Amino acid sequence: MSGVTLEKIVKSYGKIEVVHGIDLVVAEKEFVVLVGPSGCGKSTTLRMVAGLEEISAGRITIDDRVVNEVAPKDRDVAMVFQNYALYPHLNVKENIAFGLRIRKESKANIEKQVAEVAEILGLTEYLERRPADLSGGQRQRVAMGRAIVRHPKVFLFDEPLSNLDAKLRTQMRAEIKRLHKRLGVTSIYVTHDQVEAMTLADRIVVMCDGRIEQVGTPMDLFNHPKNLFVASFIGSPPMNQIQAEVEASGDKLFAKFGAHRLELPMLHELGANDHGRKVTLGIRPEHIMTQADPDTDAIEVELDLIETLGSEALLHTTVMGKPFVVKTETRGDLSHLENVRALHFKPDMLKVFDGVNGDVFDHPERLK
Amino acid sequence: MANMNLYSRGDKFFVRINMVLVGLFTLATLYPFIYIAAVSLSSGMAARSGVVVLTPVEATFAAYQQILVDPDFWNSYLNTFIYTIGGTIMSLLLVIPAAYALSRPQLIGRRFWNLMVAFTMWFNAGMIPFWLNMRDLGLLDSYFGIIIGFAVNAFNIILLRNFFESIPRSFEEAARMDGANEFQVLWKVFIPLSKPAIATITLFCVVARWNGFFWAMILLQDEGKIPLQVYLRKTIAELSDDHEFSSTLLSSLYSAETVNAAIIVCSIIPVLLFYPFIQKYFNKGILLGGVKE
Repeated sequence: MSGVTLEKIVKSYGKIEVVHGIDLVVAEKEFVVLVGPSGCGKSTTLRMVAGLEEISAGRITIDDRVVNEVAPKDRDVAMVFQNYALYPHLNVKENIAFGLRIRKESKANIEKQVAEVAEILGLTEYLERRPADLSGGQRQRVAMGRAIVRHPKVFLFDEPLSNLDAKLRTQMRAEIKRLHKRLGVTSIYVTHDQVEAMTLADRIVVMCDGRIEQVGTPMDLFNHPKNLFVASFIGSPPMNQIQAEVEASGDKLFAKFGAHRLELPMLHELGANDHGRKVTLGIRPEHIMTQADPDTDAIEVELDLIETLGSEALLHTTVMGKPFVVKTETRGDLSHLENVRALHFKPDMLKVFDGVNGDVFDHPERLK
Repeated sequence: MANMNLYSRGDKFFVRINMVLVGLFTLATLYPFIYIAAVSLSSGMAARSGVVVLTPVEATFAAYQQILVDPDFWNSYLNTFIYTIGGTIMSLLLVIPAAYALSRPQLIGRRFWNLMVAFTMWFNAGMIPFWLNMRDLGLLDSYFGIIIGFAVNAFNIILLRNFFESIPRSFEEAARMDGANEFQVLWKVFIPLSKPAIATITLFCVVARWNGFFWAMILLQDEGKIPLQVYLRKTIAELSDDHEFSSTLLSSLYSAETVNAAIIVCSIIPVLLFYPFIQKYFNKGILLGGVKE
């Protein structure tokens, strides 16, 4: 099986430990995205899989073979770099063929494979050009061609789209997805862009400070984040947060913030004993309803800004002194949004997080 | 000249002063070449009486005819080519791998080795110990002694090491992922990407070797192995000492001055021809398009 397994992987630079014993199993043909803020250890983890960084402790297995002390060239993995790393003195054809030439493949075979890859990536007419004569998207395609041509067991992508402009990024994202479908090669992809992660991944690994916070399908992470960090990292715009206090009244629980009181859904590990406990309420911008005339349950707000995205708009306001964003449909007209004076959200759309450690209080059936 | 309409009066003045200074500097650099060429093509009498300033006086090829028939001249010319080409190749063979190794973070004791290389720039054993060393190694009076004895230059190593260090790490990593070993990374990636730096140290080596005089004079006794610069010195000494030569009327067509000037012109020509040949490698932006910073 061409999967990748990471067991208790630690990476230290001198006395500083940057990756703290992570465990991860990437199944054959799976597309896994490591996502997290800068410095969270995602690229280091990828480089350890590539063999470009030694591991300080733990075990990495590729295709059921322990590769802890195997050189990058012998791991049968290919990597696409953030900055392309194309050889500027070679043309596109020579760049793609570089790995095959090093491995002393026959000339006829090289020609055939390069032609095939160029065809797949739409590079046929650029084969004689040097990297300097290509656009950013074409360069990134050459970098991918260099990886594909070797038919490796695993593809590693280190933020390959971060240097492209927004339009090209969207286009290349689709191309990578299509390519993965076509080739079916196990892929590990690093990005700090959660949109890329959501659109590309079979499973997402959210990392923070050298630890894995949560692993799951994009929708799993979106709907059921394990903690505040994952909740705020996944989703665009990020989840809104309100600091509140639990209030027990009869057999019901409420979240009290300012003059407002919201009934909380039945949550495991949260009961009448938690009266007075500090919690953070999380609500996604797309789960909020707007009102022009506040009713009794609504939270009155004043709009600071309306950002128009075309069919949708982002309403920027403030709740409890903190920025609060609402995503709503424009229906082709902004006038009804300018009159928004109050917000309303259903309790079952609320996420409740521990006010101290940020762990979610989830519905009982979600917890294993 | 760039459009100066957007320059202030002070800037215009500054630019003009700079142009005048650059012009003067160019003239000062160029004039010795012109003068030597003019002397070499003048008659011996004219050269000796000091009337040659810019153009040949009583133009004649007599000095050239005098040296071009001397087999020792051609032999020393050939020796200089051997020392220059052999020495430059030897230098590149030693300097490039040394610079590459010193530029790699994975080299164990890297700081120490770098310090050791830099140390030789500030301190050396001196002339007598070096001569004794060459003698004990059996490298006196030998082509190989001159070629290997001065092949490693710390300055060139440091210059190239710094260039290698400036090449983005991802090139090396990409090559390693593609299956390249250390030698292939150096040969197929770093050397092609370092052409400007390698051209620079090649030029340094060629010029230093071509003009090599002092150590050739010290280490070579066999006249059949001396390079052009030592031959030039020998000729100057011989012609200056030859009173009969200096005083005869026959010598009015050429003199020690014109013959020396002719030898200098002959020794300069190959270096002048060499520079345009490698100039194309002094191009910026060789890394262009390879990585997105």
